[in-house]
Order: sequence, then C-alpha cells, then structure tokens
Amino acid sequence: VDPNTPLLWVLRDTFGLTGTKFGCGIAQCGACTVSLEGDAVRSCVTPLSRAAGKRVTTVEGLSKQNTHVVQQAWLAEQVPQCGYCQSGQLMSAAVLLAKIPKPTDADIDDAMSGNICRCGTYHRIRRAIHRAAELATRK
Amino acid sequence: MITNIEEVGPTITELFSNERGRATPGSLTRRDFLASSAIAGGGLILCGVFHPSIAEAATKDDGKPIALNAWVRIGLDDTVTLIVSQAEMGQGILTTLPAVLADELGADWKRVKLENSPADPAYRNPARNWQFTGNSESTTAFFDFLRTMGASAREMLIAAAADRWKVDPASCYSESGKVFHRPTKRSSKFGQLVQAASKKQPPAHPRLKEQSEWRLLGKSLPRVENPAKVNGTAVFGLDFKIPGMLYAAVRSSPVFGGKVVKLDKSSVSRFPGVIDVVQLSFQLPFPIPDGVAVVAESYWQARRALEALKIEFDDGTNASLSSATLKNQYRAASDGSDWLLVHSTGDKDILPHSYPNRLMGDAGASPALPQRPSGTALPTIVSEEYGSPFLAHATMEPMNATAQVTADGCDVWAPTQGQELAQLAVAQLLGLPREKVRITRTLVGGGFGRRLIPDFVAQAVVISKAVGRPVKVIWSREEDIQHDFYRPAVYHRLTAGIDEYGRLKALAHRLVSPSILQFVFAPAVTETYDPSCLEGLLETHYAIPNTRVDFKMLKLPLPTSVMRTTGYGPNIFALESFIDELAYRKGQDPYQYRRDLLSESPRGRAVLDLAAEKSGWKTPPPPGRFRGIAFCEAFLTVTAHVVELSVPAEGRIKIHRIVAVVDSGTILDRGITANSIEGGTAWGLSCADRAEITFDKGRVVQGNWNDYEVLRMSQMPPVEVYFIDSGARPLGGTGEVGPVTAIPALTNAIFAATGRRIRSLPLSHHGLGLT
Repeated sequence: VDPNTPLLWVLRDTFGLTGTKFGCGIAQCGACTVSLEGDAVRSCVTPLSRAAGKRVTTVEGLSKQNTHVVQQAWLAEQVPQCGYCQSGQLMSAAVLLAKIPKPTDADIDDAMSGNICRCGTYHRIRRAIHRAAELATRK
Repeated sequence: MITNIEEVGPTITELFSNERGRATPGSLTRRDFLASSAIAGGGLILCGVFHPSIAEAATKDDGKPIALNAWVRIGLDDTVTLIVSQAEMGQGILTTLPAVLADELGADWKRVKLENSPADPAYRNPARNWQFTGNSESTTAFFDFLRTMGASAREMLIAAAADRWKVDPASCYSESGKVFHRPTKRSSKFGQLVQAASKKQPPAHPRLKEQSEWRLLGKSLPRVENPAKVNGTAVFGLDFKIPGMLYAAVRSSPVFGGKVVKLDKSSVSRFPGVIDVVQLSFQLPFPIPDGVAVVAESYWQARRALEALKIEFDDGTNASLSSATLKNQYRAASDGSDWLLVHSTGDKDILPHSYPNRLMGDAGASPALPQRPSGTALPTIVSEEYGSPFLAHATMEPMNATAQVTADGCDVWAPTQGQELAQLAVAQLLGLPREKVRITRTLVGGGFGRRLIPDFVAQAVVISKAVGRPVKVIWSREEDIQHDFYRPAVYHRLTAGIDEYGRLKALAHRLVSPSILQFVFAPAVTETYDPSCLEGLLETHYAIPNTRVDFKMLKLPLPTSVMRTTGYGPNIFALESFIDELAYRKGQDPYQYRRDLLSESPRGRAVLDLAAEKSGWKTPPPPGRFRGIAFCEAFLTVTAHVVELSVPAEGRIKIHRIVAVVDSGTILDRGITANSIEGGTAWGLSCADRAEITFDKGRVVQGNWNDYEVLRMSQMPPVEVYFIDSGARPLGGTGEVGPVTAIPALTNAIFAATGRRIRSLPLSHHGLGLT
C-alpha cells in the first residue's frame, strides 16, 4: 500500500475493519476517528506513514462483546440512531475518558465538538460519557 | 444503456399511482399473503445484511420455516422470523414494526429473527401501494396492517391448537411463543403447531389486541441493531463487500445540466490500481448529472486517479445561475399576479389583494374575478415576508451503492429509502424485467429523504455493467453536497386582518416554492400544484374565521425534493413566527394568544398547556433568560416546543433548555420516539443556525462541513421530551416532526430576548449564531 494512503482506507479496504467510517475526507466530521498512541486522530487525513509502527485502536478494538465502558454506556443510554457517526463518537469518548476520567461538560464540549452527528444524538452522547465515567470508577 | 425514457417512464409513473387499489388486509387472499415466491425462499437473512459474510447467511437453511403470511414465518424449531419492509435509517423502525407483529402474535421477542424484505409488491406501504420509507408514515401506514398480519397468524396457530385439544379457540391465547389453553393450562409451542396452522384459512378480520394486552409496544425496547452499532460490525452501504468488488470514484458536471465534452482516459490509465474510466451519461425520470467514474482496485486509488483525470465539461444553459438570479425569480413570482388559490375558509376576499382569484382546477388563463375594494372589512392589516433557504441533506454516510450486473440480472446492495423505485430504475437502465433486479437494503447512515431517489444506485449499475465486475460507488462529501436534490427555498407573505377588538379575523398566506414531490411521488404533482409545498397551511388547529392560501410553483433548473420536515418546516416557521408577532403586537403573552386561538382544539390545547407547564412558562425565567414557544400539527402529530435561551454576548445565542411535547395518538416506543424528538430538535437548530446552500456560476458554492455548517456538541442544549397519549387515530409520525416547531420556538425566543424578529434563515445572515 502507498504510504501516502490515508489510514482510513487502509483500515477499511486492506484490513477489512469497516467500523471506521468515511464522512468528509478533510477532518471536519470525526466519523473516521481512531486512537493513535492514545490520541484521537482523524484517520481520513492521517497518512499510513504516520501510523507505521504505532499502536492504532479502532472501534473494533474497544471490544467485540461490547464490554468496554463506553460501549456499555452507549447501549444503556440507547444513543445511536442511524449509528453511522457513532464509531467515531465512541473513539473520541474513549480517548477523552482515558485522559480525563471524570470529564466536565466543558471537557466533553472540547473533546467531542469535532464529531458531527446529523441525527442529533449529542444530548445522549453527553449523558453516556458521564455514565461511562461512573461505570469506570465502579469497575 | 437506455436513453429513451418514454419507453419505460410511464411504468414508473403508473406504479406511483394510488389508482391501482389499496391493499387492505381484509381483501387479501391466501395467495396474496404469500404473494411472491421470493418471499418464501428469497429474502436475505437480516443478520446477513448486517455482517459482511452475506453469502454465508443467505445460504443458511435452518429448519425450513413455514410462512403463515408474507410477514410471519415459523420454524419447526420454534424460531419466529418476521419480515422488515422499511429501511432503518435511525428512526428505530427495525425494532418498532417487528414489535407490532410480535405483540399480536404473542411471540417470544428474545427469540425473534428479522429478515429484510425484497423489493416486492407484498411489502408496499399499504396506504400508498408503493414500497418506500419516508414521509414519517412507516408506523402510520403499517400499524393496523401489521397488527392484522400478526393477529391473523396468531389465530391460525390458535385454531391448530384448538383442533389438537378439541377445545374452543376462544378459550386459548398465545404468549411467549406458545399457545395456551386457559382452563387446563395446557400449552404447545409455535413450532409444534405451525404445520397444521399453515393449512388454515387466514382470517380476514382477526381480533386485534387491546392496548392493555401489549407486552412490547408502549415500552422502551432496546434497538435490535444497536449492539452492532457500537462495536463496528453494523453494515452500512459503505461497508458491504462481495468478492471481486472494485471501487469507483465519481465526478459529476459541476453545473446542473452540464455535459462531458472531453475525456482523456489515458491520462490516468497508468495510475496504480486503475481498471477503467467510465463515462456516465444516461437518463432516468429524475435528473442524473453527466459525469465520469474512475474504477480501481481500491477506493483511494480511484479517488487519486479521478483528481488527476483530464476532463472537460460544457456548462450548458445554467452557467449563469446564481443565488442572485434565483432571488430575482422568487421576487418576480411573489410580485406577480398568477397565484393559485389552493385553500380558503370564510370570506376569501376579506383581506385586500391585487390579483384575481384563480381557483384550483381552472385551466389556462386566469379568470379576472371581481375584487373587493381593499381594506374595507377589517380596520387593522398586518403583513410580513418570511423566507427559508435551500438546504442539503448531508447525511453522515455519503451516497454509495454496490452493484453486480451479470447475465442473470442485477444485484444491488444499497442504503436506500426507495427500494421499489431503485428496482424500476435499474430494470429500465438494463432493459430487464423487474424480477431480475434484486435490491437489498443495508443499514442507512442517515436518509432524511435523500435516499428515496436512486441516482447513486443507477451509477453503480452502469459502472458494473461497463467493467463486468461488481462495483461499489462512493461519492466524496463534495459530490454529496453539490449533487443533492435540495430542500427548496420558500418565500412567504403572511397578512392578518384584525378587528376593532384586536381579534385575529383573517389570515392570508402566499408562498412561492418549486416542487418537493416531483421525483418521489410524481402523480401528486401538477404543473401548478404540489401538496407537500402546502403542508401545515391547509389545515390548522387555530380558529381563524377567514383564511386563504395562495401558491405559486416555480420551475427551477436545479433539482429539489423532500427533506426531513418537507413543507412543514418552512411553512410552520413562517406561520408560527407571524402568530408570535401578532401576539406581541396585541400585547398578549404568546402562549395565551395561541391558547385562545386553540379554542376549538382540545387536543391542541392539551399539547400547548403541557409545554407551558413543563417549561415553567407561567413563572418568569431566570434573569437574563428568555423563552419562545411554537405549536403545530405535522405528519398527523400535534407538537409544541419551548426554547429557553440567553444572549451572553452580542450576536451569540446560548440555549439552556428545550421542552418538546408530542401527541402522536399513541407512542409505540417511548425511548426510540424520545430520541427521535431530541435529535429532530437538534436538526431544527442546524437548519436555523448557519446551514444554507447557495449558488454561483451554475454551481453549488458549499462542499463540505467547513462551509455547510451543522450543529455540534458544544451548541447542543438539553432537550426534555414529554408525551401525551391521546389515543388519536390514525397514528401520527414522529420521524420528522421534531424540527418543525423547534425552529420558530428558537426565533421567537430570540425576539423575546433581543426584540429582533427573525423573518429569514439562517441566523448567520442576521449576525447571530448558536454558541
């Protein structure tokens, strides 16, 4: 694969990890968000060369059985509508919670405003992040 | 490739027609119940659509389930398979409609399997006789129909059990996948009964359960597909794969109606992975832009090559189209005199007007009817203009489709709302009978009306045929925004007549809009009339003795179509803003003013009153905060919003709280509906804040989220949703109603806060923005 290829298309077309979505191609919507060494990055503008040798986590990597706290919180709050943006939302939230275990609403605004949801589930995403923070402290 | 649309076009039109007879459960024969051989063996198992290994799932045969009708199949192993006919695009229909069937059947919800319907007349919307997902009517149209299907299957199972036990069927009932004999507590599992049940005549009028007997409906069910939506395994159109599949990136003529005039395929033939370059030049009964596709082994290879491809377009006759020329068209129409009087009550001429009354059904030249001398009847006349802009759907999942054209026909896997139109369009393109075209719905990453039109499906089919291999077409975000079927801009003039006591005695609404339904429900549209453009204006809960609505339908050289809220969005924004103006003008509280107008609508008053109660309307808001209210009926649902906001800095609007009240008759799923109303409210805020499609040199100016800006997390207020179960029938739709009153409630609150009346959207035009 050409090292200039965006990580998004390598994940999707080469590795078959289609949980990470294409939404804009210019890092405006966050549908392609993955964790790169613990940071939330937009894989649609991240060339493969930048990810080489580094640890990448996609939504599939949270857990297959929906055991990760953000997945559990997302199900408890019944967040998704169409669901297309949610992989990116989950990854941004997972990275946020890894960095700030008890985020405030302002922290959530900062971390999540790069992820667009056209169905408008923001209200539930906020609740789910707070719930995930709770779940994490109980674990 | 078919270019003669005359040949097959009328077939499509005919199938849109309501004249072909409504399919009512009572009139169905057993053969109709099992209407197509495709039903018994054909449909793909739904999990197969949600997981990549579709071939594996499709060939799986678990116990030869027996069909009791087109919607219910039961296996000897007790597995209940329910068919889903509607596209899941976020509205939760994949959960709610199967729950309707399962509740009547008495199935064990945890053991139900769902299967995707094929494109087949058996799965048409029974109210429209047409297979599609839209107009907020999946529950409205299918509720009683599917209850009847579930109940019919239940009574067949009960009849089989009663035969076996030699008891009265009336002494039996079904629950959790079994039939029980009440007096003896005997039971049989569905699987033990299904063979005998299938030999029973399906009852035409089975008993439908009372609401008190519901076990699934009226609750909050977890959505069936949500586990797959949080671990990356849910399969949207973009994610569907079949072996040997190629990828195509497309570029369409940037100007509406432009043509490809020069194409140098060799300019990219040596690019890595490139297989072919296919010119897209074909016609269907809806606008398909001329364009080109680069086909490659991977999407990124296709896209890189497309960027380098040497191609020239002839811009054609629309090269000078711009927002300014469009504005002139709207202005000329609004200043003109050829209005169509589409509705009136009381004295239609009580308000002065300088144009003749041209009535519905009047052909040709407008008759010059006598006019009253202006302004004689009512002492106070108030008149204002309102406007809403062009908008793009901008679904999160860009347009895409996968097609495989073979000697045996054509298979398509696509995130489509228009399964039947897609089938007909592909059949026309390939010159095939429709049975040879199999359209499989995937999950839909946002529809909002965009995916009713199968332009993107047609492209995939044409490209697959050209290269002889399965192909997935993926549009860039820029293609998606610049080649949409747009929500049309609408111009309104509202005029009120007020008597000497300050009472609203007359209301006239004039509006100018291009067609909304022209490509998705053509038979409803004439040269001068489109019912969707008038939504919310022909019937109102407000008691106003004299009303009239005049309409002027514009012909524009750009594609316009349905978008979430359709006509209700712009119309209710105008109407509810104007009502608010009249309240303030009278010096009356805007809630109380509306309440007085609802003197003849107990249902309307109940909704408005609950909105006032829950928002604390009668107590003053905290210092610095202001409230706005709006009310309407849309999609048969009565709804109201209250928005509470502050203005922390010049031009900056901070919403603190939104209350929404919804009466759709009966809420079938409280959690799913609440989510839909919360999200619909957010959609309304997006429509109001900055979003706008503009045109220059025949092109759409915007191209991505950086210039087509939609609501983000930091702007999203908490939304509280309250329901009223009035029991009204038919059920109202709830998928599109959320934004309708959110928008005027917001702008009315802005007036309360700033004294600035927002008569056109978006807010950014007024130096305002949500923060």
